[in-house]
Amino acid sequence: MSEHPISIESPRMREFGRVNWRGLWTLYQKEVRRFLNVYTQTLVAPVVTSLLFLAIFQLALGGGGRKVAGVDFSSFLVPGLIMMTMAQNAFANTSSSLVSAKVQGNIVDLLMPPLSPAEQALGLAGGGVTRGLMVGITVSLAMWVFVPYSLHAPLVSLYHAVMASLMLALLGVLGGIWAEKFDHIAAVTNFIITPFSFLSGTFYSIERLPPLGQTLAHLNPFFYMIDGFRYGFIGHSDTKVWLGMLVIAGVNLGLWLVVHWMLKTGYRLRS
Amino acid sequence: MGNVVPNPPAPREFGRLNALGCWSYFRRGLLRFWRVSWTSILGACVSSGLLLVVFMIAGREGSLAAGLSIAEFVAPGVILFASSMMAFEGGATLMLEDKIEGTIADVLMAPLSTGEMLVGMVLPPVFNAVATGLAVFGVTLIFTDFSFSAPLLSFAFLILNALFFALVGALVGLWADKWDHYGGAQAFLMLPLGFLSGAFFSLDALPQIGKVLVYLNPLFHSVDAARFGLTGYGQSSALIGAVVLISLSVLLTIVLWRLVHSGYKVRP
Repeated sequence: MSEHPISIESPRMREFGRVNWRGLWTLYQKEVRRFLNVYTQTLVAPVVTSLLFLAIFQLALGGGGRKVAGVDFSSFLVPGLIMMTMAQNAFANTSSSLVSAKVQGNIVDLLMPPLSPAEQALGLAGGGVTRGLMVGITVSLAMWVFVPYSLHAPLVSLYHAVMASLMLALLGVLGGIWAEKFDHIAAVTNFIITPFSFLSGTFYSIERLPPLGQTLAHLNPFFYMIDGFRYGFIGHSDTKVWLGMLVIAGVNLGLWLVVHWMLKTGYRLRS
Repeated sequence: MGNVVPNPPAPREFGRLNALGCWSYFRRGLLRFWRVSWTSILGACVSSGLLLVVFMIAGREGSLAAGLSIAEFVAPGVILFASSMMAFEGGATLMLEDKIEGTIADVLMAPLSTGEMLVGMVLPPVFNAVATGLAVFGVTLIFTDFSFSAPLLSFAFLILNALFFALVGALVGLWADKWDHYGGAQAFLMLPLGFLSGAFFSLDALPQIGKVLVYLNPLFHSVDAARFGLTGYGQSSALIGAVVLISLSVLLTIVLWRLVHSGYKVRP
């Protein structure tokens, strides 16, 4: 026993302003490192899958110089496949991050730090958007080797790439908060995300659909992001470009508000 | 009162075949799949149905081969593709889950011979894959009419194909140390085998070298034979297909038997 008690200064609380930049940056980095750590599955595998899709559709339906929307079938297919892959990966990143954190119990690492709901949402979604864009760039480069393309309006494509990744990342946060185990998120992927991304004009122009199908397609936000992204490549779109940009911005705003509300109230996260 | 000394339980006796043990191991695998069958089999049905619909819309006016409609041509491919993926996934996850969670000890400690272990490792995924194939077949019936020239032949190839891919899965599950390895095998082995198999396009669309490569793919033979059984159109012969699949399955069984017998990756 020491006669002179040593005074230990209690650690001071870290101070920060209106935004906890360091906390936000840390969460974002954690989300990015999580998928970079298994890059064969998160970056390379999507490239292989999308190239295989390109191959089978080109081999099955692209014969005889077939044209869709005024361009070769393969040129039509490329932007659709890039967008589909980006969307699926952005969704997978946020949803799997939240569900595995819940299952393993390290969700407290997200809930305990002094992060506001907006910072939490931004950090999570930022990771999803980063994965979506990184996958998008890799897939674009890989496809260019097989189907050289030029860009008609790169900024329109960039806008849609970012906004679509954000939309799916936010949907993934939403799904991840709702789901209690991996089965639930697999069900959301199988029964919602895959059907929407398959049936939204990735593989065909919606002019081919019956009138009812066309009406339904126009109610589907996935249709606008694929259509707008493709416009940036081939200069043809099934609907007005500015309308698509507005719709997807509106959807993102709505999703942001829902996610923010969920994180704020602790829906399915805090007891 | 003296101490009660319980008699140690007498070891259960069985003859040359530990039928109860073998059955228990088999049932354990099957129950594990059926716990999640709602999402896995229904999920396979949804994605297969979507793939078929996408082909039908995108290629509305076309025909892929010999007067078959797109749906008739692609449907058998979709069925066998989904079933193969399920067989592989089942074979691999059954083993890998046991290894990672440590429950492999339950299997190693049980008085099971190598052959009995193989039954429990391979047959549950075969069952699951055949069930998936039949479910997806049900979905394809919504979109197309088959002529059913030899349905039993298709069914036989569904089973053979499931057996082959369950063996591949079991080997991958035995070899893999973590989920990452399994993911790699799925992305770089199974998906290329699955997609480049003539399940979705006709061999005629390929250059000569491509034809040869696809011909070496076992899935091509099962898809082709199943398509012949359902529609009467085939690009190769079912006899060659049967020889290829049976001999490859026998080969893989021998390899798996030797690995399990030697305790590869599972016994210290």
